[in-house]
Amino acid sequence: MSIIKKIITFRPSFTLRILTGLVSMLVLLSVCTFIGLSDRTRLNVRAAQFESRAIEAGAKVYYDQCARCHGANGEGVEGLGPGLASEFFVGRIEIVRDEMQQQSIRVVVPSERLKQIGWTGSLRDYIIAVTESGIPVKTSNVWDVNHPTFGERYGGPLRGDQIRDVASFIVNYGLNPLPNDQAILPPAPGEGQAARPTPVPLTPEQEAGKQVYLAQGCAACHAIRGVGAQGAIGPNMNRMGAVAAERIASDDYKSKIQGQPPATTPEEYIRQSILYPNAYIVPQCPQGPCQANLMPRNYAQVIPPQDLDNLVAYLASLK
Amino acid sequence: MAFVGQKLIKQIQTTGLKATVAQRLDDAFTRFTAGLSWNDVRGILRGDPPPKPNPRVKPHTEGFWFHIRPTFYHEAVTTLYPTFRLGLLSALFFTFEIITGIFLMIFYTPSPTYAYGNMIDILTNVPFGKFMRDLHRLGAEAMVIVVTLHMVRTFVTGSYKKPRQFTWFTGVVLLIVTLFLSFSGYLLPWDQLAFWAVTIGTSMADAVPLIGPELNLLLRGAPDIGAGGLLRFYLFHVVLFPLIGVIFVAVHYYKVVRFGISLPPEMEPVGEDNARKVPPEKRVPFLPDILTNELMYAGVAFAVLAVSAATWYSAPLEHHADPLVTPNHTVAPWYFYWLQGLLKIPHMIPFLPTSIAVEVDRFFANVFGITPKVFWGVIVGPLMFLLLFVLPYIDPNPSRRYGDRKIMLSLGALFAAVIIYLSLAGIPTGVPITGFGYVGGDPASEVGQAFIPDEGVGPVRRLPYSQYVVGSFPISADPNTGSAGLDSLIRDIHNDMEARKVRPDPLGRRLSAEATGTLEVKQIQENLRQVIITINYTDEAGNPTQFKKYTFLHAGSGYAVE
Repeated sequence: MSIIKKIITFRPSFTLRILTGLVSMLVLLSVCTFIGLSDRTRLNVRAAQFESRAIEAGAKVYYDQCARCHGANGEGVEGLGPGLASEFFVGRIEIVRDEMQQQSIRVVVPSERLKQIGWTGSLRDYIIAVTESGIPVKTSNVWDVNHPTFGERYGGPLRGDQIRDVASFIVNYGLNPLPNDQAILPPAPGEGQAARPTPVPLTPEQEAGKQVYLAQGCAACHAIRGVGAQGAIGPNMNRMGAVAAERIASDDYKSKIQGQPPATTPEEYIRQSILYPNAYIVPQCPQGPCQANLMPRNYAQVIPPQDLDNLVAYLASLK
Repeated sequence: MAFVGQKLIKQIQTTGLKATVAQRLDDAFTRFTAGLSWNDVRGILRGDPPPKPNPRVKPHTEGFWFHIRPTFYHEAVTTLYPTFRLGLLSALFFTFEIITGIFLMIFYTPSPTYAYGNMIDILTNVPFGKFMRDLHRLGAEAMVIVVTLHMVRTFVTGSYKKPRQFTWFTGVVLLIVTLFLSFSGYLLPWDQLAFWAVTIGTSMADAVPLIGPELNLLLRGAPDIGAGGLLRFYLFHVVLFPLIGVIFVAVHYYKVVRFGISLPPEMEPVGEDNARKVPPEKRVPFLPDILTNELMYAGVAFAVLAVSAATWYSAPLEHHADPLVTPNHTVAPWYFYWLQGLLKIPHMIPFLPTSIAVEVDRFFANVFGITPKVFWGVIVGPLMFLLLFVLPYIDPNPSRRYGDRKIMLSLGALFAAVIIYLSLAGIPTGVPITGFGYVGGDPASEVGQAFIPDEGVGPVRRLPYSQYVVGSFPISADPNTGSAGLDSLIRDIHNDMEARKVRPDPLGRRLSAEATGTLEVKQIQENLRQVIITINYTDEAGNPTQFKKYTFLHAGSGYAVE
């Protein structure tokens, strides 16, 4: 108890007060001087750490949002998205550090793609721009999908910082890019212009079928060029009439559903595919083996018979 | 002007140049110190006894800063006990927060688009930026502690009693201002910690009966916290609360000077207040004794803060705020744990048999429209502060002596114990032994949270990139990955899983006995790996279930050194 009493009744002498105060100020000043002298290096080290963490955060965004079309390893998916890890797209970079630990990216091989489309800014800025706002004007017509707008301000799901993070992640592929022959490269500008179908005037039935197509939400999964249908979950319907004819002529075509004999005309095939989507599943899709049960199986109850006839007529007319 | 020059020339002619300059400089010095010449100050600093008449009282009558301080203290209050200098330290920390806060304001924009980027800029591009942020945050936490201790001290020594009731009242206002200042600053970094802590905090406002939704809208500026809420919290933090603080510090301090610092209880007769009746031999002059004492405290306090911020303390910065992702185990700031603990009380009247408690809850919900959460969090919580406000007015005992105040001191200890118990209940692990307040997912997800926490570092990120080996490894007691660090990590996960198989969590859940795990390391890019923990187990319903959690790890992210 006497120790406690001594502590609580302690009254520092005048000299001790002045000395303690001076020593404290000295400590405070030395800490500030030490930080002032060494802060530049530590700022640079911390900047490099935050850039690394941005790449980690960007990886998460990439796997959540981008990998479906651009591939799990950035190799790309034919018809959906080009390989972002290809040397053609990402070029080749290295990371240089100066003696102050300042870190910067040096471009060893610039991106071919940026040259091809005439982008004058950096690759990082291009990635941010495209991710944020989509591609307003496509340079080729070979693939049917447009790049969606991912930026929050364009109605997409990603915030600005997430887009910057994912750009950091994609640029980072440049340290060890995929050789161009192991990745899907984007079609060159101007390619595929001739492949656009010449518009054929639609009959009133076919025109009504087109409206059914849009009204029933088919467009959400099946793209058709030129009608605002951009879905990428199911195959596109650009040449459905021709495809149906080829399909029923092929050797491995058969119906898997009892009571549904294989179709003999393109119209029958299309009708069967709408009402019984699992009757025939194409074996190979761009992203691997095609899956059954993706398409709803209730259209027989949902689409009135007259609408269905029009829809079939419309799809069969696409050649 | 000619007149002034003539006087000067005449002085030089009569006393010489050197003496004239010395005299003029001393004049300026005396004007600056409001009445002390250089020799007087030298005498003060050397500890000389005051000459007569004493020039050291002059600044108290002439200058503003000394005018608001008393000319002497009672000898009995200049030892560590009874004040422990906690009031002085509170005021010092308040000043300190203003200085560091202004520094940080320069680099900050109160907008969700820029706030988080500003934080990263402060840490990576502003000289002294991290230091100042750490100081500001550490100072804020220290201030909450010091202000609370100051209140505890005042309670224990009975200094809130007549005539200091209103001083205590303004002190409680300052305690609330301190808490709100700290809490409103919490949101500004716009990281996950900030966003969710403040979402929890403001959702309590939403539950206030009658005006809740309007109050919530007023605080957040929108149904959810966004740009409007951030701007409002910023303005609360840098304008409103500091302003209220400054005003109440002024009132509080005026009262302290007016009534004097209360003497130790045993030194004055019961019911009397002798703080202002100081016999001349008991007087300790402000200059130099009290001033040097205060400067010493200020120096030590600031030096301790600076050394802490430069060495062991680092203010946390989590991921960017994301309204769509709630991290596991979100908590309020530690000084509001008790409030979070209150919210976890399941029934209106605790300790009743459940069947009766449920009926009581139903009765209150039907008749008054309040749920237990609203009752405890929004009614009882603020009532505790009301209790503090009215304490000096309802305490009937005029004596300040410890022996006469056994009941009040016991009640105070009980109050403190309840706050500590509720604070423990407020954190996700709950109260030890009783388990009250525990919130946790199923055991497998808790393994994931322990090793790859949603926010913060955790063992998986702390293990350096170079220690990982690409491949898939079963989680076992005896891993053989070829890397000592990874082996040790896998052993830790194994031990954690085994412990959760044997020891149930407070909700009685165990990890199923046959549960197995894998740790997979994938190379994603040249310098980026993905670490995936997979646990296959049987859930409570008996279905085989898989739990998966992953993180990305970059070679340069430097978690290991944090």
